[in-house]
Amino acid sequence: MKTLRNLQGPALTLTLLCGLWLIVILGLLVLKPSVYNLGTVTTILQFSTILALVGLGQGLVILAGGSGIDLSVGGTVSLSAIVGMLGVKLGLPPVLLPVVCILAGAMLGALNGWLVNGLALLPFIATLGTFFVYSGTALAITGGAAQAGVPSWLLLWGRGVAMGIPVPFLTLAIPCFALAGLLLLSTAWGRWIYAMGFNERSARLVGIPVDRVRFILYSLSGALAGAAGLVSLAWLGSGRPNIGQNLELESLTAAMLGGIAITGGRGGVGGVFAAVLLLVTLKTGLLQLNINTVWQVGIVGGLLVFVLLADRLSQRWRS
Amino acid sequence: MTAPFLVARNIGKRFGALTALANVDLEIRSGEVLALLGDNGAGKSTFIKILAGAHPPSDGELVIEGNPVSFHSPKDAAASGIATIFQELALSENLSIAENVFLGRELKRSIFGIPFLKRQEMRQRVDGLLKELDAHISDPEAPVGSLSGGQRQAVAICRALNLNARLVIMDEPTAALAVAETRKVLALTRRLAARGCAVVLISHNISEVFEVADRIVVFRRGRKVAERLAAETDHEEVVSLITGAHPDVRALEKTN
Repeated sequence: MKTLRNLQGPALTLTLLCGLWLIVILGLLVLKPSVYNLGTVTTILQFSTILALVGLGQGLVILAGGSGIDLSVGGTVSLSAIVGMLGVKLGLPPVLLPVVCILAGAMLGALNGWLVNGLALLPFIATLGTFFVYSGTALAITGGAAQAGVPSWLLLWGRGVAMGIPVPFLTLAIPCFALAGLLLLSTAWGRWIYAMGFNERSARLVGIPVDRVRFILYSLSGALAGAAGLVSLAWLGSGRPNIGQNLELESLTAAMLGGIAITGGRGGVGGVFAAVLLLVTLKTGLLQLNINTVWQVGIVGGLLVFVLLADRLSQRWRS
Repeated sequence: MTAPFLVARNIGKRFGALTALANVDLEIRSGEVLALLGDNGAGKSTFIKILAGAHPPSDGELVIEGNPVSFHSPKDAAASGIATIFQELALSENLSIAENVFLGRELKRSIFGIPFLKRQEMRQRVDGLLKELDAHISDPEAPVGSLSGGQRQAVAICRALNLNARLVIMDEPTAALAVAETRKVLALTRRLAARGCAVVLISHNISEVFEVADRIVVFRRGRKVAERLAAETDHEEVVSLITGAHPDVRALEKTN
Protein backbone atom coordinates (compact mmCIF):
# COMPACT_ATOMS: atom_id res chain seq x y z
CA MET A 1 0.00 0.00 0.00
CA LYS A 2 2.67 2.46 1.00
CA THR A 3 5.73 1.03 -0.62
CA LEU A 4 6.69 -0.60 -3.84
CA ARG A 5 6.80 -3.99 -2.14
CA ASN A 6 3.27 -3.67 -0.81
CA LEU A 7 2.04 -2.47 -4.17
CA GLN A 8 3.67 -5.21 -6.16
CA GLY A 9 2.92 -8.29 -4.09
CA PRO A 10 -0.80 -8.09 -3.27
CA ALA A 11 -1.72 -6.11 -6.38
CA LEU A 12 -0.11 -8.78 -8.54
CA THR A 13 -1.83 -11.59 -6.64
CA LEU A 14 -5.22 -9.89 -6.83
CA THR A 15 -4.89 -9.20 -10.55
CA LEU A 16 -3.98 -12.83 -11.23
CA LEU A 17 -6.85 -14.10 -9.08
CA CYS A 18 -9.38 -11.82 -10.82
CA GLY A 19 -8.10 -13.04 -14.17
CA LEU A 20 -8.50 -16.69 -13.13
CA TRP A 21 -11.92 -15.94 -11.72
CA LEU A 22 -13.05 -14.38 -15.00
CA ILE A 23 -11.80 -17.46 -16.87
CA VAL A 24 -13.80 -19.74 -14.56
CA ILE A 25 -16.94 -17.62 -14.92
CA LEU A 26 -16.63 -17.29 -18.70
CA GLY A 27 -15.97 -21.00 -19.05
CA LEU A 28 -19.06 -21.75 -17.03
CA LEU A 29 -21.10 -19.24 -19.03
CA VAL A 30 -20.20 -21.04 -22.24
CA LEU A 31 -20.77 -24.55 -20.86
CA LYS A 32 -23.89 -23.92 -18.83
CA PRO A 33 -25.53 -20.47 -19.12
CA SER A 34 -28.48 -21.47 -16.91
CA VAL A 35 -26.16 -21.28 -13.85
CA TYR A 36 -26.32 -17.50 -13.85
CA ASN A 37 -28.78 -16.26 -11.29
CA LEU A 38 -28.76 -14.70 -7.85
CA GLY A 39 -29.30 -18.09 -6.20
CA THR A 40 -25.93 -19.32 -7.42
CA VAL A 41 -24.22 -16.22 -6.01
CA THR A 42 -25.89 -16.81 -2.65
CA THR A 43 -24.83 -20.46 -2.63
CA ILE A 44 -21.25 -19.57 -3.51
CA LEU A 45 -21.03 -16.99 -0.74
CA GLN A 46 -22.66 -19.40 1.73
CA PHE A 47 -19.99 -22.04 1.05
CA SER A 48 -17.36 -19.28 1.02
CA THR A 49 -18.18 -18.22 4.58
CA ILE A 50 -16.94 -21.50 6.02
CA LEU A 51 -13.83 -21.70 3.85
CA ALA A 52 -13.07 -17.99 4.39
CA LEU A 53 -13.02 -18.32 8.19
CA VAL A 54 -10.86 -21.44 8.10
CA GLY A 55 -8.60 -20.02 5.36
CA LEU A 56 -8.02 -16.86 7.41
CA GLY A 57 -6.74 -18.85 10.39
CA GLN A 58 -4.64 -21.05 8.13
CA GLY A 59 -3.17 -17.99 6.40
CA LEU A 60 -2.22 -16.31 9.68
CA VAL A 61 -0.53 -19.44 11.02
CA ILE A 62 1.51 -19.83 7.83
CA LEU A 63 2.34 -16.10 7.71
CA ALA A 64 3.97 -16.30 11.16
CA GLY A 65 6.58 -18.73 9.82
CA GLY A 66 8.48 -21.37 11.74
CA SER A 67 7.15 -23.86 9.15
CA GLY A 68 3.73 -23.11 10.65
CA ILE A 69 0.76 -24.93 9.19
CA ASP A 70 -2.57 -26.05 10.63
CA LEU A 71 -3.69 -29.32 9.05
CA SER A 72 -6.21 -29.94 11.84
CA VAL A 73 -8.68 -27.22 10.76
CA GLY A 74 -11.14 -29.67 9.18
CA GLY A 75 -11.23 -31.82 12.30
CA THR A 76 -11.57 -28.71 14.46
CA VAL A 77 -14.61 -27.52 12.45
CA SER A 78 -16.32 -30.93 12.78
CA LEU A 79 -15.49 -31.47 16.45
CA SER A 80 -16.43 -27.97 17.64
CA ALA A 81 -19.80 -28.21 15.82
CA ILE A 82 -20.42 -31.62 17.43
CA VAL A 83 -19.30 -30.45 20.88
CA GLY A 84 -21.73 -27.53 20.61
CA MET A 85 -24.68 -29.76 19.62
CA LEU A 86 -23.91 -32.41 22.24
CA GLY A 87 -23.66 -29.65 24.83
CA VAL A 88 -27.17 -28.46 23.93
CA LYS A 89 -28.42 -32.06 24.10
CA LEU A 90 -26.93 -32.44 27.56
CA GLY A 91 -28.89 -29.47 28.81
CA LEU A 92 -26.70 -26.49 27.98
CA PRO A 93 -28.77 -23.33 27.38
CA PRO A 94 -28.95 -23.00 23.55
CA VAL A 95 -28.09 -19.29 23.87
CA LEU A 96 -24.54 -20.38 24.67
CA LEU A 97 -24.17 -22.45 21.48
CA PRO A 98 -22.08 -19.81 19.59
CA VAL A 99 -19.79 -19.31 22.58
CA VAL A 100 -19.31 -23.04 23.09
CA CYS A 101 -18.46 -23.70 19.42
CA ILE A 102 -15.90 -20.90 19.22
CA LEU A 103 -14.42 -21.71 22.63
CA ALA A 104 -14.13 -25.42 21.78
CA GLY A 105 -12.35 -24.48 18.55
CA ALA A 106 -10.01 -22.12 20.41
CA MET A 107 -9.11 -24.85 22.89
CA LEU A 108 -8.41 -27.37 20.14
CA GLY A 109 -6.25 -24.72 18.48
CA ALA A 110 -4.49 -24.00 21.76
CA LEU A 111 -3.63 -27.71 22.01
CA ASN A 112 -1.96 -27.42 18.59
CA GLY A 113 -0.11 -24.34 19.80
CA TRP A 114 1.11 -26.20 22.87
CA LEU A 115 2.32 -29.19 20.82
CA VAL A 116 4.21 -26.86 18.48
CA ASN A 117 5.60 -24.42 21.07
CA GLY A 118 5.78 -26.33 24.31
CA LEU A 119 6.78 -29.73 22.98
CA ALA A 120 8.61 -28.32 19.93
CA LEU A 121 6.93 -30.76 17.53
CA LEU A 122 7.07 -30.06 13.82
CA PRO A 123 3.79 -28.22 13.02
CA PHE A 124 3.16 -30.38 9.97
CA ILE A 125 3.30 -33.59 11.99
CA ALA A 126 1.68 -32.25 15.15
CA THR A 127 -1.39 -30.88 13.35
CA LEU A 128 -1.61 -33.94 11.10
CA GLY A 129 -1.85 -35.97 14.30
CA THR A 130 -4.49 -33.72 15.86
CA PHE A 131 -6.39 -33.71 12.55
CA PHE A 132 -6.94 -37.45 12.91
CA VAL A 133 -7.63 -37.12 16.65
CA TYR A 134 -10.21 -34.34 16.21
CA SER A 135 -12.05 -35.72 13.17
CA GLY A 136 -11.89 -39.25 14.60
CA THR A 137 -13.33 -38.09 17.92
CA ALA A 138 -16.16 -36.24 16.14
CA LEU A 139 -17.10 -39.46 14.31
CA ALA A 140 -16.64 -41.69 17.36
CA ILE A 141 -18.80 -39.77 19.82
CA THR A 142 -21.68 -39.44 17.34
CA GLY A 143 -21.36 -42.84 15.68
CA GLY A 144 -21.34 -40.90 12.43
CA ALA A 145 -24.89 -39.60 12.88
CA ALA A 146 -25.89 -35.98 12.30
CA GLN A 147 -26.92 -34.16 15.49
CA ALA A 148 -30.22 -32.33 15.10
CA GLY A 149 -31.71 -29.69 17.38
CA VAL A 150 -30.25 -26.38 16.26
CA PRO A 151 -32.35 -23.57 17.81
CA SER A 152 -34.55 -21.75 15.31
CA TRP A 153 -33.14 -18.30 16.05
CA LEU A 154 -29.74 -19.56 14.96
CA LEU A 155 -31.19 -20.91 11.70
CA LEU A 156 -32.71 -17.50 11.11
CA TRP A 157 -29.22 -15.99 11.21
CA GLY A 158 -27.54 -18.82 9.32
CA ARG A 159 -30.04 -18.94 6.46
CA GLY A 160 -30.80 -15.24 6.28
CA VAL A 161 -30.04 -13.46 3.02
CA ALA A 162 -29.72 -9.71 2.54
CA MET A 163 -29.60 -8.47 -1.08
CA GLY A 164 -28.52 -11.90 -2.23
CA ILE A 165 -25.69 -12.03 0.30
CA PRO A 166 -25.92 -14.58 3.12
CA VAL A 167 -26.07 -12.93 6.54
CA PRO A 168 -23.20 -15.01 8.06
CA PHE A 169 -20.97 -13.84 5.20
CA LEU A 170 -21.87 -10.21 5.93
CA THR A 171 -21.74 -10.40 9.71
CA LEU A 172 -18.87 -12.82 10.29
CA ALA A 173 -16.58 -13.46 7.31
CA ILE A 174 -16.24 -9.85 6.12
CA PRO A 175 -15.70 -8.33 9.60
CA CYS A 176 -13.11 -11.00 10.46
CA PHE A 177 -11.12 -10.31 7.29
CA ALA A 178 -11.39 -6.53 7.71
CA LEU A 179 -10.18 -6.77 11.30
CA ALA A 180 -7.32 -9.13 10.40
CA GLY A 181 -6.24 -6.87 7.55
CA LEU A 182 -6.28 -3.83 9.82
CA LEU A 183 -4.30 -5.59 12.54
CA LEU A 184 -1.69 -6.88 10.08
CA LEU A 185 -1.15 -3.56 8.32
CA SER A 186 -1.37 -0.93 10.99
CA THR A 187 -0.48 -2.39 14.36
CA ALA A 188 2.71 -3.46 16.07
CA TRP A 189 1.32 -7.01 16.31
CA GLY A 190 1.09 -7.17 12.52
CA ARG A 191 4.70 -6.07 12.14
CA TRP A 192 5.77 -8.74 14.64
CA ILE A 193 3.98 -11.46 12.68
CA TYR A 194 5.70 -10.41 9.46
CA ALA A 195 9.09 -10.08 11.19
CA MET A 196 8.97 -13.49 12.87
CA GLY A 197 7.59 -15.08 9.72
CA PHE A 198 10.52 -13.90 7.68
CA ASN A 199 13.39 -14.25 10.14
CA GLU A 200 12.54 -15.81 13.47
CA ARG A 201 16.07 -15.50 14.89
CA SER A 202 16.24 -11.76 14.39
CA ALA A 203 12.70 -11.36 15.73
CA ARG A 204 13.79 -13.11 18.91
CA LEU A 205 16.95 -10.97 19.13
CA VAL A 206 14.91 -7.74 19.10
CA GLY A 207 12.68 -9.10 21.84
CA ILE A 208 9.47 -10.04 20.01
CA PRO A 209 7.57 -12.63 22.09
CA VAL A 210 7.69 -15.15 19.23
CA ASP A 211 6.36 -18.14 21.19
CA ARG A 212 3.42 -16.23 22.64
CA VAL A 213 2.43 -14.78 19.25
CA ARG A 214 2.60 -18.24 17.67
CA PHE A 215 0.51 -19.82 20.42
CA ILE A 216 -2.13 -17.10 20.05
CA LEU A 217 -2.26 -17.59 16.27
CA TYR A 218 -2.79 -21.37 16.56
CA SER A 219 -5.54 -20.70 19.11
CA LEU A 220 -7.04 -18.08 16.78
CA SER A 221 -6.98 -20.52 13.87
CA GLY A 222 -8.87 -22.96 16.10
CA ALA A 223 -11.38 -20.27 17.17
CA LEU A 224 -12.04 -19.34 13.53
CA ALA A 225 -12.54 -23.03 12.70
CA GLY A 226 -14.98 -23.17 15.63
CA ALA A 227 -16.82 -20.16 14.17
CA ALA A 228 -16.94 -22.00 10.82
CA GLY A 229 -18.45 -24.98 12.65
CA LEU A 230 -21.09 -22.65 14.08
CA VAL A 231 -21.88 -21.32 10.59
CA SER A 232 -22.32 -24.91 9.36
CA LEU A 233 -24.80 -25.57 12.19
CA ALA A 234 -26.75 -22.41 11.55
CA TRP A 235 -26.90 -23.07 7.83
CA LEU A 236 -27.48 -26.82 7.63
CA GLY A 237 -29.59 -27.12 10.78
CA SER A 238 -27.66 -30.04 12.20
CA GLY A 239 -24.20 -30.91 13.41
CA ARG A 240 -22.51 -33.27 10.94
CA PRO A 241 -19.42 -35.09 12.20
CA ASN A 242 -17.75 -34.92 8.77
CA ILE A 243 -18.60 -31.32 7.89
CA GLY A 244 -14.95 -30.27 7.98
CA GLN A 245 -13.88 -32.84 5.42
CA ASN A 246 -11.22 -31.61 2.96
CA LEU A 247 -11.11 -28.17 4.58
CA GLU A 248 -7.39 -28.58 5.39
CA LEU A 249 -6.64 -29.03 1.70
CA GLU A 250 -8.95 -26.23 0.59
CA SER A 251 -7.81 -23.72 3.22
CA LEU A 252 -4.19 -24.46 2.42
CA THR A 253 -4.87 -23.96 -1.28
CA ALA A 254 -6.71 -20.71 -0.54
CA ALA A 255 -3.82 -19.38 1.56
CA MET A 256 -1.20 -20.32 -1.05
CA LEU A 257 -3.31 -19.12 -3.96
CA GLY A 258 -3.91 -15.89 -2.04
CA GLY A 259 -0.18 -15.13 -2.11
CA ILE A 260 0.91 -16.19 1.35
CA ALA A 261 4.39 -17.68 1.12
CA ILE A 262 4.62 -21.18 2.60
CA THR A 263 7.86 -20.09 4.30
CA GLY A 264 6.07 -17.21 6.06
CA GLY A 265 6.53 -13.45 6.24
CA ARG A 266 5.04 -12.67 2.84
CA GLY A 267 1.43 -12.14 1.74
CA GLY A 268 -1.78 -10.66 3.07
CA VAL A 269 -5.36 -11.60 3.92
CA GLY A 270 -6.94 -9.74 0.98
CA GLY A 271 -5.46 -12.31 -1.39
CA VAL A 272 -6.78 -15.16 0.75
CA PHE A 273 -10.27 -13.65 0.58
CA ALA A 274 -10.14 -13.44 -3.22
CA ALA A 275 -8.71 -16.96 -3.45
CA VAL A 276 -11.55 -18.34 -1.32
CA LEU A 277 -14.13 -16.83 -3.69
CA LEU A 278 -12.26 -18.23 -6.69
CA LEU A 279 -12.00 -21.71 -5.20
CA VAL A 280 -15.65 -21.88 -4.22
CA THR A 281 -16.76 -20.55 -7.61
CA LEU A 282 -14.66 -23.21 -9.28
CA LYS A 283 -16.09 -25.93 -7.06
CA THR A 284 -19.66 -24.77 -7.57
CA GLY A 285 -19.08 -24.64 -11.31
CA LEU A 286 -17.76 -28.20 -11.33
CA LEU A 287 -20.79 -29.27 -9.31
CA GLN A 288 -23.15 -27.60 -11.78
CA LEU A 289 -21.41 -29.38 -14.63
CA ASN A 290 -22.13 -32.65 -12.82
CA ILE A 291 -18.50 -33.47 -12.24
CA ASN A 292 -18.06 -35.98 -9.44
CA THR A 293 -16.98 -34.55 -6.06
CA VAL A 294 -14.09 -36.98 -6.07
CA TRP A 295 -12.70 -35.11 -9.03
CA GLN A 296 -13.22 -31.77 -7.30
CA VAL A 297 -10.83 -32.72 -4.51
CA GLY A 298 -8.32 -33.87 -7.09
CA ILE A 299 -8.61 -30.60 -8.97
CA VAL A 300 -8.12 -28.51 -5.81
CA GLY A 301 -5.09 -30.66 -4.93
CA GLY A 302 -3.67 -30.15 -8.39
CA LEU A 303 -4.21 -26.42 -8.03
CA LEU A 304 -2.26 -26.43 -4.73
CA VAL A 305 0.72 -28.14 -6.35
CA PHE A 306 0.54 -25.71 -9.25
CA VAL A 307 0.53 -22.67 -6.95
CA LEU A 308 3.51 -23.93 -4.97
CA LEU A 309 5.36 -24.57 -8.21
CA ALA A 310 4.53 -21.09 -9.54
CA ASP A 311 5.77 -19.55 -6.30
CA ARG A 312 9.05 -21.47 -6.50
CA LEU A 313 9.55 -20.59 -10.15
CA SER A 314 8.78 -16.90 -9.68
CA GLN A 315 11.31 -16.71 -6.85
CA ARG A 316 13.99 -18.36 -8.94
CA TRP A 317 13.11 -16.06 -11.80
CA ARG A 318 13.46 -12.96 -9.60
CA SER A 319 16.84 -13.84 -8.09
CA MET B 1 40.45 11.65 31.68
CA THR B 2 36.78 10.93 32.32
CA ALA B 3 35.62 7.94 34.35
CA PRO B 4 35.11 4.86 32.18
CA PHE B 5 31.58 3.84 31.18
CA LEU B 6 32.25 0.18 31.82
CA VAL B 7 34.95 -1.61 33.76
CA ALA B 8 35.53 -5.35 33.36
CA ARG B 9 37.44 -6.82 36.30
CA ASN B 10 39.20 -10.14 36.21
CA ILE B 11 36.69 -11.64 33.78
CA GLY B 12 37.03 -15.37 33.14
CA LYS B 13 34.92 -17.87 31.23
CA ARG B 14 35.16 -21.64 31.26
CA PHE B 15 33.20 -24.06 29.12
CA GLY B 16 33.62 -27.31 31.01
CA ALA B 17 37.35 -28.03 31.10
CA LEU B 18 38.09 -25.44 28.43
CA THR B 19 39.19 -22.01 29.61
CA ALA B 20 38.00 -19.59 26.94
CA LEU B 21 38.88 -16.46 28.85
CA ALA B 22 40.98 -15.71 31.96
CA ASN B 23 41.78 -12.63 34.05
CA VAL B 24 40.65 -9.98 31.61
CA ASP B 25 40.72 -6.40 32.94
CA LEU B 26 39.41 -3.77 30.59
CA GLU B 27 38.03 -0.24 30.67
CA ILE B 28 35.63 1.06 28.07
CA ARG B 29 35.23 4.83 27.82
CA SER B 30 32.50 6.95 26.31
CA GLY B 31 33.40 8.72 23.08
CA GLU B 32 36.15 6.27 22.33
CA VAL B 33 36.49 3.50 19.77
CA LEU B 34 38.13 0.47 21.31
CA ALA B 35 39.30 -2.25 18.94
CA LEU B 36 39.65 -5.86 20.01
CA LEU B 37 42.20 -7.79 17.99
CA GLY B 38 43.36 -11.36 18.10
CA ASP B 39 43.51 -14.60 16.21
CA ASN B 40 40.53 -16.91 15.86
CA GLY B 41 39.83 -18.48 19.22
CA ALA B 42 41.72 -15.77 21.12
CA GLY B 43 38.66 -14.97 23.21
CA LYS B 44 37.37 -11.73 21.67
CA SER B 45 34.02 -13.17 20.73
CA THR B 46 33.56 -14.78 24.12
CA PHE B 47 34.37 -11.45 25.74
CA ILE B 48 31.82 -9.45 23.75
CA LYS B 49 29.21 -12.15 24.35
CA ILE B 50 29.74 -11.58 28.07
CA LEU B 51 29.36 -7.81 27.56
CA ALA B 52 26.23 -8.39 25.48
CA GLY B 53 24.67 -10.61 28.13
CA ALA B 54 24.67 -13.71 25.92
CA HIS B 55 27.03 -15.62 28.25
CA PRO B 56 27.37 -15.12 32.01
CA PRO B 57 31.03 -14.86 33.06
CA SER B 58 32.49 -17.68 35.22
CA ASP B 59 34.66 -15.24 37.18
CA GLY B 60 35.01 -11.51 37.69
CA GLU B 61 32.55 -8.66 37.48
CA LEU B 62 31.28 -5.94 35.19
CA VAL B 63 30.86 -2.45 36.59
CA ILE B 64 28.85 0.18 34.73
CA GLU B 65 29.42 3.74 35.93
CA GLY B 66 30.45 2.50 39.36
CA ASN B 67 27.58 0.02 39.80
CA PRO B 68 28.27 -3.72 39.56
CA VAL B 69 25.88 -5.41 37.12
CA SER B 70 25.13 -9.01 36.24
CA PHE B 71 23.40 -9.83 32.97
CA HIS B 72 21.20 -12.88 32.64
CA SER B 73 20.12 -12.19 29.07
CA PRO B 74 20.78 -9.80 26.18
CA LYS B 75 17.72 -7.89 27.40
CA ASP B 76 19.46 -7.05 30.69
CA ALA B 77 22.46 -5.75 28.78
CA ALA B 78 20.20 -3.68 26.53
CA ALA B 79 18.50 -2.21 29.59
CA SER B 80 21.94 -1.07 30.80
CA GLY B 81 22.54 0.72 27.50
CA ILE B 82 24.61 -1.92 25.72
CA ALA B 83 23.62 -2.68 22.13
CA THR B 84 25.31 -5.36 20.09
CA ILE B 85 25.34 -5.35 16.32
CA PHE B 86 25.93 -8.96 15.34
CA GLN B 87 27.42 -9.98 12.05
CA GLU B 88 24.07 -11.15 10.74
CA LEU B 89 22.57 -7.81 11.88
CA ALA B 90 19.20 -9.19 12.97
CA LEU B 91 17.19 -7.23 10.41
CA SER B 92 13.94 -8.31 8.78
CA GLU B 93 14.34 -7.89 5.05
CA ASN B 94 10.60 -7.89 4.40
CA LEU B 95 10.02 -4.81 6.58
CA SER B 96 10.94 -1.19 5.92
CA ILE B 97 13.90 0.64 7.43
CA ALA B 98 11.69 2.54 9.86
CA GLU B 99 9.90 -0.65 10.88
CA ASN B 100 13.21 -2.39 11.49
CA VAL B 101 14.62 0.45 13.57
CA PHE B 102 11.54 0.33 15.80
CA LEU B 103 10.88 -3.42 15.63
CA GLY B 104 9.91 -4.76 19.04
CA ARG B 105 9.54 -1.25 20.51
CA GLU B 106 7.22 0.52 18.09
CA LEU B 107 5.75 3.92 18.81
CA LYS B 108 2.06 3.27 19.15
CA ARG B 109 -1.22 4.72 20.20
CA SER B 110 -3.45 2.31 21.98
CA ILE B 111 -7.09 2.17 20.85
CA PHE B 112 -9.15 -0.41 22.79
CA GLY B 113 -5.86 -1.99 23.83
CA ILE B 114 -4.78 -2.48 20.22
CA PRO B 115 -1.34 -1.00 19.51
CA PHE B 116 -1.81 1.04 16.34
CA LEU B 117 1.46 2.25 14.79
CA LYS B 118 2.41 5.91 14.72
CA ARG B 119 3.96 5.63 11.27
CA GLN B 120 4.47 9.34 10.71
CA GLU B 121 6.37 9.83 13.95
CA MET B 122 8.55 6.73 13.50
CA ARG B 123 9.34 7.82 9.97
CA GLN B 124 10.45 11.26 11.12
CA ARG B 125 12.61 9.89 13.93
CA VAL B 126 14.37 7.49 11.58
CA ASP B 127 14.75 10.22 8.97
CA GLY B 128 16.49 12.35 11.60
CA LEU B 129 18.80 9.56 12.72
CA LEU B 130 19.75 8.68 9.14
CA LYS B 131 20.54 12.34 8.41
CA GLU B 132 22.59 12.65 11.58
CA LEU B 133 24.60 9.59 10.61
CA ASP B 134 24.89 10.94 7.08
CA ALA B 135 23.94 7.48 5.88
CA HIS B 136 22.80 8.47 2.37
CA ILE B 137 19.47 6.68 2.63
CA SER B 138 16.68 8.88 1.36
CA ASP B 139 13.55 6.85 2.08
CA PRO B 140 12.98 5.29 5.52
CA GLU B 141 10.01 3.42 4.04
CA ALA B 142 12.21 1.41 1.65
CA PRO B 143 12.37 -2.32 2.43
CA VAL B 144 15.63 -3.41 4.04
CA GLY B 145 15.87 -6.21 1.46
CA SER B 146 16.70 -3.59 -1.19
CA LEU B 147 19.67 -2.10 0.71
CA SER B 148 23.40 -2.74 0.29
CA GLY B 149 25.51 -4.29 3.05
CA GLY B 150 26.82 -0.92 4.23
CA GLN B 151 23.35 0.62 4.30
CA ARG B 152 22.16 -2.33 6.38
CA GLN B 153 24.96 -1.62 8.85
CA ALA B 154 23.68 1.95 9.00
CA VAL B 155 20.16 0.68 9.77
CA ALA B 156 21.53 -1.58 12.51
CA ILE B 157 23.46 1.39 13.97
CA CYS B 158 20.27 3.51 13.81
CA ARG B 159 18.56 0.77 15.77
CA ALA B 160 21.25 0.90 18.43
CA LEU B 161 21.03 4.70 18.63
CA ASN B 162 17.25 4.57 18.85
CA LEU B 163 17.62 2.34 21.91
CA ASN B 164 19.71 5.13 23.46
CA ALA B 165 22.64 2.75 23.59
CA ARG B 166 25.69 4.14 25.34
CA LEU B 167 27.94 1.27 24.38
CA VAL B 168 27.68 -0.16 20.87
CA ILE B 169 29.49 -3.42 20.18
CA MET B 170 30.22 -4.14 16.52
CA ASP B 171 31.30 -7.63 15.52
CA GLU B 172 33.31 -7.41 12.29
CA PRO B 173 31.02 -4.83 10.72
CA THR B 174 33.05 -4.64 7.51
CA ALA B 175 33.74 -8.34 6.99
CA ALA B 176 31.40 -8.76 4.03
CA LEU B 177 31.61 -5.27 2.52
CA ALA B 178 33.11 -3.75 -0.60
CA VAL B 179 35.80 -1.07 -0.24
CA ALA B 180 33.56 1.98 -0.64
CA GLU B 181 31.00 0.51 1.75
CA THR B 182 33.74 -0.21 4.29
CA ARG B 183 34.76 3.47 4.21
CA LYS B 184 31.21 4.51 4.99
CA VAL B 185 30.85 2.11 7.89
CA LEU B 186 34.16 3.25 9.38
CA ALA B 187 32.98 6.84 9.10
CA LEU B 188 29.73 5.84 10.83
CA THR B 189 31.75 4.27 13.62
CA ARG B 190 33.67 7.50 14.18
CA ARG B 191 30.45 9.52 14.17
CA LEU B 192 28.99 7.18 16.75
CA ALA B 193 31.94 7.89 19.06
CA ALA B 194 31.69 11.61 18.35
CA ARG B 195 28.09 11.47 19.63
CA GLY B 196 29.49 10.31 22.98
CA CYS B 197 28.88 6.59 22.56
CA ALA B 198 31.45 4.07 23.62
CA VAL B 199 32.23 1.74 20.72
CA VAL B 200 33.82 -1.70 20.89
CA LEU B 201 34.89 -3.00 17.52
CA ILE B 202 36.06 -6.46 16.56
CA SER B 203 38.00 -6.66 13.35
CA HIS B 204 40.57 -8.78 11.59
CA ASN B 205 41.71 -5.97 9.39
CA ILE B 206 44.57 -4.17 11.14
CA SER B 207 44.82 -1.18 8.80
CA GLU B 208 41.10 -0.60 9.29
CA VAL B 209 41.59 -0.68 13.03
CA PHE B 210 44.33 1.93 12.85
CA GLU B 211 42.05 4.12 10.80
CA VAL B 212 39.21 4.15 13.28
CA ALA B 213 40.29 3.05 16.77
CA ASP B 214 41.55 5.16 19.67
CA ARG B 215 42.74 2.21 21.68
CA ILE B 216 43.72 -1.30 20.71
CA VAL B 217 43.48 -4.36 22.92
CA VAL B 218 45.04 -7.63 21.82
CA PHE B 219 43.75 -11.00 22.94
CA ARG B 220 45.75 -14.19 22.72
CA ARG B 221 44.78 -17.63 23.98
CA GLY B 222 42.00 -16.31 26.19
CA ARG B 223 44.06 -13.56 27.78
CA LYS B 224 44.47 -9.88 27.22
CA VAL B 225 48.14 -9.62 26.28
CA ALA B 226 48.43 -5.96 25.39
CA GLU B 227 46.71 -2.61 25.41
CA ARG B 228 48.02 0.30 23.33
CA LEU B 229 46.86 3.72 22.28
CA ALA B 230 46.54 3.60 18.52
CA ALA B 231 48.67 6.71 18.21
CA GLU B 232 51.54 5.11 20.13
CA THR B 233 51.90 1.87 18.29
CA ASP B 234 52.20 0.67 14.71
CA HIS B 235 51.09 -2.07 12.39
CA GLU B 236 54.17 -4.20 12.95
CA GLU B 237 54.01 -4.15 16.73
CA VAL B 238 50.33 -5.11 16.69
CA VAL B 239 50.98 -8.03 14.36
CA SER B 240 53.77 -9.30 16.61
CA LEU B 241 51.43 -9.00 19.60
CA ILE B 242 48.76 -11.03 17.84
CA THR B 243 51.12 -13.76 16.67
CA GLY B 244 52.95 -13.90 19.99
CA ALA B 245 56.34 -12.89 18.53
CA HIS B 246 56.47 -9.70 20.63
CA PRO B 247 58.90 -9.94 23.61
CA ASP B 248 56.19 -8.72 26.04
CA VAL B 249 53.87 -11.54 25.02
CA ARG B 250 56.68 -14.11 25.25
CA ALA B 251 57.57 -12.94 28.73
CA LEU B 252 53.91 -13.09 29.76
CA GLU B 253 53.42 -16.55 28.36
CA LYS B 254 56.56 -17.82 30.06
CA THR B 255 55.38 -16.73 33.50
CA ASN B 256 52.04 -18.50 33.09
